[in-house]
Amino acid sequence: MNPVIRALLGSAQAEFIQLARARSLVILTVVQAVTFLFLVSLFGMTGARAPTALIDYDKGMYAQIFVQNLKTAHHSFTIIPMDEETANRALAHGNLVAEIIIPAGFSDAMSQGKTVPLKVIVDNIDTDMTDDIQRALPSAIIQFAKQIKLPGIHVQVAEHDLIDHDTDFIPYLVVSSLVLAAFTISGILSAVAVAREYETGTAAMLALAPVHPIVPLVGRVLATCAVSMGALAITCCVAVFGYGIIPKHPFEMAATLASCVIIFGCIGVALGAGMKRTLPVASLVFGIALPLFMFSGSYEPERFDGNTIWTLAHFSPVYYAVGILEHAAYGLIVTPESVSLNFLYLLGWAVGALLVAAIFTRRGVTR
Amino acid sequence: MIRGMWTLASLDLLLWRRMPMAIASALIPPVGMTALLVVLSMAVTQQPVALVVEGRGSNTEKMASIIQSDDDAYLLTKTDMQTADRMLADQEVAAVIIVPKDFDDQVNSLGVANVILKLNNVDIDFADDIRRSVDRSVAQFDAPSYSLEGEKGGEAGEGGGAPANSDEKAKPDEGAKPEGAGKESGDTSEAQSAKPDPTAAENPYLVNIKETDLRETNVEWLNYQVVPALVLLVLSVGLMGTALLCAQDIERKTARYLVLTPQDSWTLVAGRLLGGFIASILFLIPAIGWCVWTKTINPPPSHWPALLAIFAATALCASGLGAILGTALTGSRTIALASSVISTYLFFLGGGFTNIAFLPQWMRTLSSFIPTRYAIDGMRQALFYSTLDGVGKDLAILCATAILMCAIGSFSVRRSWVASE
Repeated sequence: MNPVIRALLGSAQAEFIQLARARSLVILTVVQAVTFLFLVSLFGMTGARAPTALIDYDKGMYAQIFVQNLKTAHHSFTIIPMDEETANRALAHGNLVAEIIIPAGFSDAMSQGKTVPLKVIVDNIDTDMTDDIQRALPSAIIQFAKQIKLPGIHVQVAEHDLIDHDTDFIPYLVVSSLVLAAFTISGILSAVAVAREYETGTAAMLALAPVHPIVPLVGRVLATCAVSMGALAITCCVAVFGYGIIPKHPFEMAATLASCVIIFGCIGVALGAGMKRTLPVASLVFGIALPLFMFSGSYEPERFDGNTIWTLAHFSPVYYAVGILEHAAYGLIVTPESVSLNFLYLLGWAVGALLVAAIFTRRGVTR
Repeated sequence: MIRGMWTLASLDLLLWRRMPMAIASALIPPVGMTALLVVLSMAVTQQPVALVVEGRGSNTEKMASIIQSDDDAYLLTKTDMQTADRMLADQEVAAVIIVPKDFDDQVNSLGVANVILKLNNVDIDFADDIRRSVDRSVAQFDAPSYSLEGEKGGEAGEGGGAPANSDEKAKPDEGAKPEGAGKESGDTSEAQSAKPDPTAAENPYLVNIKETDLRETNVEWLNYQVVPALVLLVLSVGLMGTALLCAQDIERKTARYLVLTPQDSWTLVAGRLLGGFIASILFLIPAIGWCVWTKTINPPPSHWPALLAIFAATALCASGLGAILGTALTGSRTIALASSVISTYLFFLGGGFTNIAFLPQWMRTLSSFIPTRYAIDGMRQALFYSTLDGVGKDLAILCATAILMCAIGSFSVRRSWVASE
């Protein structure tokens, strides 16, 4: 058998045995990947539906219409009816963002065309939520006015959406976070496989091997990539069955995630060869993953954050992967570059990462 | 006894200092999380929007001026239609707001003019932000009180009142009046009544928002989000530091010597926990110092003792939990990974990533079993609120958890030492 293939197969087999002995590492890596899904879901939950107390002293017909409009005002409020005392207490303890008080006689005043003061108390501790409330109230009011056909209104919004459906924030984030999961799983397992060679001193033996030292390491990384794909499949199952995400283009999604595993595996090789210690690998990958994720169009098209951040995002493979995955899952275009161009960039990243890994490995083994 | 405790604690701190990789492992997650929170804070402000003003006339100018003045909501680029469409297609802007050619004619003929919104609705988070903002701008045209200043009870916004030639009197369309309208409603005995405000500017929407803010100044979103990272720092260092030292005693077989020393083994176990506690505090002090120096935190002087007690109790919890983890798992890298996973879960289920009180009920119920919830809630109360309401309860739960964790941790460590003998 060709010595290169023999070295590849032998090292892959050795890595499979090693991973079978370190099940807790594999399990924890998967747990960490799934953690990201929950983490981004939590962020998604805070983006809308501010818990708001409704104190309705009127209970009349117009008050009810008004409350309906508050509930449908662009996902702005979670309306919780309660009495004023309870609401004040909840607001003081930080359990509510705001309380809206509909005064008695609201409906009568409306019938007579009289202007009514609407008392709103806002816990302005959180600027984001405060802004949402301040913008959402006029939004609910104009819908209310439209519904009851108030005269004297001269302007309305005519909205034309580029996409025929709205995509919820959490499903959008969860799809992006699958790239993060691939990065975490594949990056940690590959980096640990390579760093362990240096830690145990077996890397020195690679210099004496009849093949390039990267070959046995590539064999190991092939094994970690195979395990990573299995682990990522579990994470994808959480996304599909837990979050109900049904990809529009499943093969595109699978191909992208497989490419991500290989690319991030190569990046893991470079990290492992550079660090030569297994201990900080997991923390480093975790630490890098989060900011990298946020600069990669994971919560909205990256260019909306300005051209500087968008330009910087091009230096991250996560940017291209998120672009393809959002298309695969929902048919969304979230990068100005086309999907095929993103695929090409991603392939370029794979080649680049492999070259960097080879250079680091060569240097590490020679030393 | 204290000397024995201190001896092992100082030895552990010395060992900890000689493990730069372990220190890096403990510090990277909180640093990464802080970076993430900073980026998120920047992302929730303005949205890039193009404004195209096609028409001319006083009402068109008034509408454009309202949109341009809302720099809280929009990062605006005023341009022509062709450029705006190109920017929308290239994702340079998230939306295009168009004040069309016939805007003035429509308004002057007492009809309803359209402000056209072309929106890239990739996800509802920013799309809804833009929808709300545009709605507010449009509402301001007829009701200037809907400007930010107006809602807060200040001067009415730019423009002022209805357009020229408008003599309509606002009343709901009787045809649209559902059954039961106008009936007397609700118990008004103690209720607030809807007495019309004679000083209110004319508002065809018939609803004047009277906003009252709970506090004098808004806390910066960045500060609100980033400050809980201090809890993650304490958790990560305390947990990983104690866990690694416990595991190393077993791996290097030094645990058996600790059992055989003439010093009471419980004293040494306490010294191990003290070492983890001190390590957390040593990393926390410069972080707090930096936060105070940059005015990221600025609590009232009377809140400092409560704040420090919260940090101390959290550090003890982390130390106790680290002892449990260090004896339950083997292998430094597994422990490092487990520590970072556990710290992250404790952090975000405790509300470090967001305010748990603003989340759904099931999440709040789950979170009530997480001790860090009380650390983060207590810390936010001490930092951002004028009173210490609820901090006593938070501290009591935290202290009880710390005692429990330290007790279980101590038993685990001692048992692992005895087993290694």
